[in-house]
Amino acid sequence: MLLALLLAGSLAAEYARWGRAAAPSVPARLAHVQPAAAPQLQLVRQSASRLDAPPGAPSAHASALATLPGDQMLAFWFAGSRESAPDVRIYSSRWADGQWGPTRPVASRASLGEGLGFAVRRIGNPTAWAAPDGTVHLFVVATGLGGWAASRVVHLVSADRGDSFQVRRVLPMSPLFNTSVMVRTTPVGLSDGGWWLPLYFELGNRYPLLMSFDAAGDPRWIARIGERTSLMQPAVIAVSPTEVRAWMRDASEERRIQQAVSHDGGLSWVDVPPLDLVNDNTSVAALKLREGGFVLLHNIGPEGSAARNVLRLSVSDDARNWKHAFDIAAGEPLDEYSYPGVQQLGDELHVTFTDRRRTIAHHVYRIRYGEGAP
Amino acid sequence: MTLPEPALQVFYARAAWAVVLAAVAASLAARRGRLPRPALAALALACALAQALPGAWAPSHWLGLAFQAPAAFTTALAALALGRHWLGRPRNALLPLPLATALALAGAWLYLDASGWVAHGAYYLGFSPFSAPLSALLLGAVCVLCIARGSAAATAGALFAALVLFMLLRLPTGNLWDALLDPFLWAWAVLVCAKAARAPVRARPGTRPSPESP
Repeated sequence: MLLALLLAGSLAAEYARWGRAAAPSVPARLAHVQPAAAPQLQLVRQSASRLDAPPGAPSAHASALATLPGDQMLAFWFAGSRESAPDVRIYSSRWADGQWGPTRPVASRASLGEGLGFAVRRIGNPTAWAAPDGTVHLFVVATGLGGWAASRVVHLVSADRGDSFQVRRVLPMSPLFNTSVMVRTTPVGLSDGGWWLPLYFELGNRYPLLMSFDAAGDPRWIARIGERTSLMQPAVIAVSPTEVRAWMRDASEERRIQQAVSHDGGLSWVDVPPLDLVNDNTSVAALKLREGGFVLLHNIGPEGSAARNVLRLSVSDDARNWKHAFDIAAGEPLDEYSYPGVQQLGDELHVTFTDRRRTIAHHVYRIRYGEGAP
Repeated sequence: MTLPEPALQVFYARAAWAVVLAAVAASLAARRGRLPRPALAALALACALAQALPGAWAPSHWLGLAFQAPAAFTTALAALALGRHWLGRPRNALLPLPLATALALAGAWLYLDASGWVAHGAYYLGFSPFSAPLSALLLGAVCVLCIARGSAAATAGALFAALVLFMLLRLPTGNLWDALLDPFLWAWAVLVCAKAARAPVRARPGTRPSPESP
């Protein structure tokens, strides 16, 4: 009798959930999808600076940008004595009125552990999405036992436009003690207020993933991007109303920026031939500009060098054929300018990147169109 | 995708690790002979009190670092094991071979997929809003049938408890796979299958041993 009651109660609970569930048949459309039309795109550098380094944190890496309503922007990155050190924290700064505000810590392994109810060994790789109402969703890599291979992704939320964050949950991503999944690249907005979060699995094999969130910040579904096992850190862009592309860091012998395509709103993906752009296992960033055109930030280097001393910006009209625009940073062979982040604010293109593992550099470019535009 | 409340997940993790640790400790202690009830009660109480300690003082704080939380079915089997120690029947099999085989095969597919060797999206199926709960309900009905017929009733009861926990509260993670299986339970199932495969063939009923040659 008790068993029957429990079963009936479970059926009732599931029935209630089914009644509340949204119709799954139509995937949310991507936001700001315009046909690509970028006659003579020009990017003119306006400024180059560095974000204020936090005291006692000589090593910085993995910046990410998120635009806020009102032409503001947040930058996130991790810094500490070195990558994977116990003192590494996630830091943030706000861009407003043409300048950066003070650098503030927003997460540490202690604060994440307290919020999650279990210990966190190391933290890194932040990425963030700002909703139209100013709520900021921050995703941070937090490791368990075993280095980056034991990574999990923690979801934090700010109700005060990024001034402070509260842990919401650890994302359930894997049956292997929920480990080996990370974030790096920028989320993509959807027309219903939700967004996609790109992720990737890395433990031996490497493969990219996509998690869809609703406007309230609750996960909806997860999909694997393609079937290859050497790709990471997908940069996802809506190319047209019916096509989404993901460009990925490649750890294989091909050494090219790999890509996959979805024609059903991200639910399924097909691997396609790579771009004719070198990628020696380094992070890429991509953005579709509001008035047309695409930009792609990536490292280039001699064959087999895995060099990160040149960070290049390439442009495209159609997201298929790319041409070299200019090099954002170039240095000595052992210098590192890597892990770029890119966002558009008004007619400005903002780029951040790791500057020799010491600080986060910030460049601003004016976006112009038309031959001979002033 | 319906996920459980994070605070509920923290409570579940502490409670689940308390049960699992108590069961493991009881099994280790019982190797020297049957564990007296007062000792078993003290062991269980100690594990529960340890998990009630705040923050980093609780073992679950560190177990969660490495392993997150055990599957609901693992926890239920651990509770069953404790019950059997209490009743003085610890040696009865908790995982019948057919169930162990199913878990071993399902887990192999799941972990091969999660590791990237195949791309079937097995884990993500556990989040589906319709097929996962429907599967849970069907499995639950099968469990009720097994219990009613007395067929591996205790183990069926443990599985039923795990399914109900998932259906009512979506514990431990919102994914049906995580309610039914974790790498520890999978390894245990594989061991059960391996032992069964290596067991000597016993004389079947109705046959006679052949006489020894003079």
